[in-house]
Amino acid sequence: MKKQKITNFTVFFILIFLGVSSVFAQKGPKDKFVFGPLNPIKMPKVETVELKNGLKLFLVEDHEYPTIDLRAMVHTGSVYEPASKIGLASLTAQALRTGGTTFQTGDEIDQELETMAATIETYMSRDNGYIMVSVLKEDIDKALKILTDILMNPAFAEDKIRLEKIMQSSVISRRNDEIMQIANREFGKLIYGRDNPYARHPEYATIAAVTREDIVDFYKRYFYPNNTIMAVWGDFDAKSMTSKIRNTLGKWKSAKLNIPAVPTVKYQYKYTVNLIDKPDVNQSNIMIGHIGGLRSNPDFPALNVMNSILSWDRMFKKIRTDEGLAYAVWGYYGASYQYPGIFSNGAQTKSESTVYAIDLMLKQMKRITEEEVTDDELARAKDEYLNTFVFNFDSKDKIVRRTMTYAYYNYPLDFMEKIKAKVEKVTKADVLRVAKEYLRTDKVQILVVGKKEDFDKPLSALGPVNVIDITIPSPPQPKEQ
Amino acid sequence: MHCKKEFYRKLILFLVFIAVFTCFSLAQTFEAVKNQVKVHTLKNEMKFIVLERHDAPVVSFHVYADVGSANESYGITGISHLLEHMAFKGSKVVGTTDYEAEIKVLNELDALYDEIKKEKSKVKPDEAKLKEMEEQFESLRLKAKEYVATDEFFDMMSKEGDRGLNAYTSNDATQYIDSLPSNKLEFWMAMTSDRFLNPVFREFFKERDVVMEERRLGLETRPMGKLIEDFFATAFKAHPYSHSVIGHMSDLQNITRKDVEEYFKKYYGPSNLTVGIVGDVNPEEVFEMAELYFGRIPSSPKPEPVRTEEPEQWGERRVIVEARSQPLIVGGYHRPDARHQDDAALEALANILGQGRSSRLYQVLIKEKKVAIQTGSFNGFPDDKFPNLVAFFAFPAKDHTSAECLELIDKEIARIKEESVTSEELTKFKRNAEKNILNRMKSNSRMAALLTYADVVLGDWKLTFDQVKDIRAITEEDVKRVANTYLIKKHRTIGEIVPEK
Repeated sequence: MKKQKITNFTVFFILIFLGVSSVFAQKGPKDKFVFGPLNPIKMPKVETVELKNGLKLFLVEDHEYPTIDLRAMVHTGSVYEPASKIGLASLTAQALRTGGTTFQTGDEIDQELETMAATIETYMSRDNGYIMVSVLKEDIDKALKILTDILMNPAFAEDKIRLEKIMQSSVISRRNDEIMQIANREFGKLIYGRDNPYARHPEYATIAAVTREDIVDFYKRYFYPNNTIMAVWGDFDAKSMTSKIRNTLGKWKSAKLNIPAVPTVKYQYKYTVNLIDKPDVNQSNIMIGHIGGLRSNPDFPALNVMNSILSWDRMFKKIRTDEGLAYAVWGYYGASYQYPGIFSNGAQTKSESTVYAIDLMLKQMKRITEEEVTDDELARAKDEYLNTFVFNFDSKDKIVRRTMTYAYYNYPLDFMEKIKAKVEKVTKADVLRVAKEYLRTDKVQILVVGKKEDFDKPLSALGPVNVIDITIPSPPQPKEQ
Repeated sequence: MHCKKEFYRKLILFLVFIAVFTCFSLAQTFEAVKNQVKVHTLKNEMKFIVLERHDAPVVSFHVYADVGSANESYGITGISHLLEHMAFKGSKVVGTTDYEAEIKVLNELDALYDEIKKEKSKVKPDEAKLKEMEEQFESLRLKAKEYVATDEFFDMMSKEGDRGLNAYTSNDATQYIDSLPSNKLEFWMAMTSDRFLNPVFREFFKERDVVMEERRLGLETRPMGKLIEDFFATAFKAHPYSHSVIGHMSDLQNITRKDVEEYFKKYYGPSNLTVGIVGDVNPEEVFEMAELYFGRIPSSPKPEPVRTEEPEQWGERRVIVEARSQPLIVGGYHRPDARHQDDAALEALANILGQGRSSRLYQVLIKEKKVAIQTGSFNGFPDDKFPNLVAFFAFPAKDHTSAECLELIDKEIARIKEESVTSEELTKFKRNAEKNILNRMKSNSRMAALLTYADVVLGDWKLTFDQVKDIRAITEEDVKRVANTYLIKKHRTIGEIVPEK
């Protein structure tokens, strides 16, 4: 008995001592940390509903703040506009929002929305149309009514079409003002081809060619409930929210759809050196790369790990930290959902170190295809991916928006978890294999936007130089009255 | 890592930065959040503001150093931001393979750099001697590099899952942000206290080069960047808001590692640091750990406030940047700092004038007259802590001019000065403000930023929630009064990009 008591006391004191020491012992950054288990991620329930008219909904309740948000994706995109009317898709999306409805002018809608601190915005990208709604929960009925009206009864008022055309033409006039914008645009054209739907851009003439009839036709071809999916999250009860949507957007008429597949890309690997001379800058914008791939590629997880090492350990550490040559520098094999991304490497460096920096970047790209990455590099890249994984689930809106995006592009809804499982297994050999298979470092296209007079060496040191003219074609002459 | 370009931030955020509550349910929401906030100040005066939020097992950290480019003087412009870059270079433990050996070489390197500078400043420098010293400098630099564990601070943080690893420097402040899985709290404490206790500014000269590239990237190759730099140099003739956050190129070329060390000693004492922590943590545990890890930083006096004040302006000022670019016009009127009682009414004024599709400027310049494709108005230009500007801007539409835009803007300003705004406009402003602040509170990281900002700049973290009471009280008469008090032509500066012929 007595002995037992002493033992208990001893244990008690040891526990106190351990407890105190584990809480109060100060650790150095390099001491061993034993991390306790992470509190579990509370996965929200994503309700999936399809209305009779074909509108697909994903709903998530989030009661922390009294707001409601809605995002929709419409199967459309600028890839579907004719080459003679580039800008049509975007004009349609904008005029849909600003051009009013059968019942209200666009200006009245602006006024009503802003009075209740709500927003409804519409966008067009290359391969989707996007709608964004944000509202305080007490105003959800009014916001849904306006959204339904916009989608069902757009008026496309002439005056607003004229305004949107002025906006787009003005954007064209400004497109050579900033060198980074020039570099991104022209590099895209080098990779996809200048007339390709994934790279082309409007001109004054293609904007001028768009009529109101074109816009109405474009709208009528794509904007249907059975061509749309929607994510909704916020402070609501999923059932009553569904019935609110059924009573409003449920009236939106479906139609028989004829949406062609998005265009494919035929890429010819080739080595090219391209220059845009910009005598008014003191820094070169450098882009190097070739075509990339798709996210659905089974090698996407290994490529993800390779990207992290190429961008961070190879480009950032060597070009920026060791050499001080650039503020931003990167290298990654880009992958999109349904058309190939771009293998893109970039940096901006003072004119006097242009060719030197390109040489170093090419060297790093080659190296990753020739030798295995180190254990440390692999461990860092994988740990970062896996330890930041929880941030994919740290808000309900991220989860529901991702679900919608996967559904839009026909990806499995647990795509991200699948990638994670594969990333866990990536080896050094995998990284080398995918680098060898997907990077063609002898056949890259190089683009420099900069002041050639100040380069350390003429660009011709890299090969025959193709000079790109970025002069903006003049607007068409107005027709005679 | 990133220099916050205030202008672009303002352009983007001008739509979303205001603080008001008019709605009852929202007022309750905010009051509930406010009551969750816990505060603890260490003996060395370092302050921790903590909000627990257990939605997801993550936590965001925001270290707010009350120092920015407004604390700089000629010769060291850009040093706040350069220091921010150097704060990623590690400590006596992190980023090095042998600190004792390394520091000797770093000191030799500094001494040699001073010698080179001295020689260069002579009327007739000895070129042969200079060349020899420069070669020696390069070989010493490479020797120092042998002891460097490259970017180890970044590597260690990102390996543990630091999603938001970054930092920003503005005119008022330098802010360091991290977001980690919440079981890494103690690791953050160990890394961050070490970072600010024993920093070693290694690889200084190459990082200075990186910052010069950042200046070229953000400012010198961009017409808008050039305009903003010249605009502040014109609007402020005395107060240090007059120079850009990134600093003058010649200062960047001459700042030394010793300069940065001295600056660090002066401005990174614990009394000048405020930490916001929001997420899946227990405040009591945070405070205990803070005592243990940050309590060991020796106290130091709060640095002297900025002495120079901007004197009254004697007449309208104009500044022009000629560039291969389409035109742009920006204008700003002097106004008091963010703590001033007129702040809320000035926010209402800027909002009603130029924020949103139904604002005055958007309606007239874009919808009706179609002379601009973008226009807006905002406060806190370039920043909030000191008297600043209430500003407007317009991007003229193709074939239209800045002058046309300015004429219409002036008409709208005159109209507000004479008639004030409508009660509908004021209600709209209040409602939008309440929703915008709510949206900003949703993310842990932004919430941590709001709390530290309110505490340091406005003087009390509670103002994150309470300043809305002022805004709720604004009347049409207030807006008219501040318009007439501050929107005075004599007190404004106009800046323009004029297309080069």
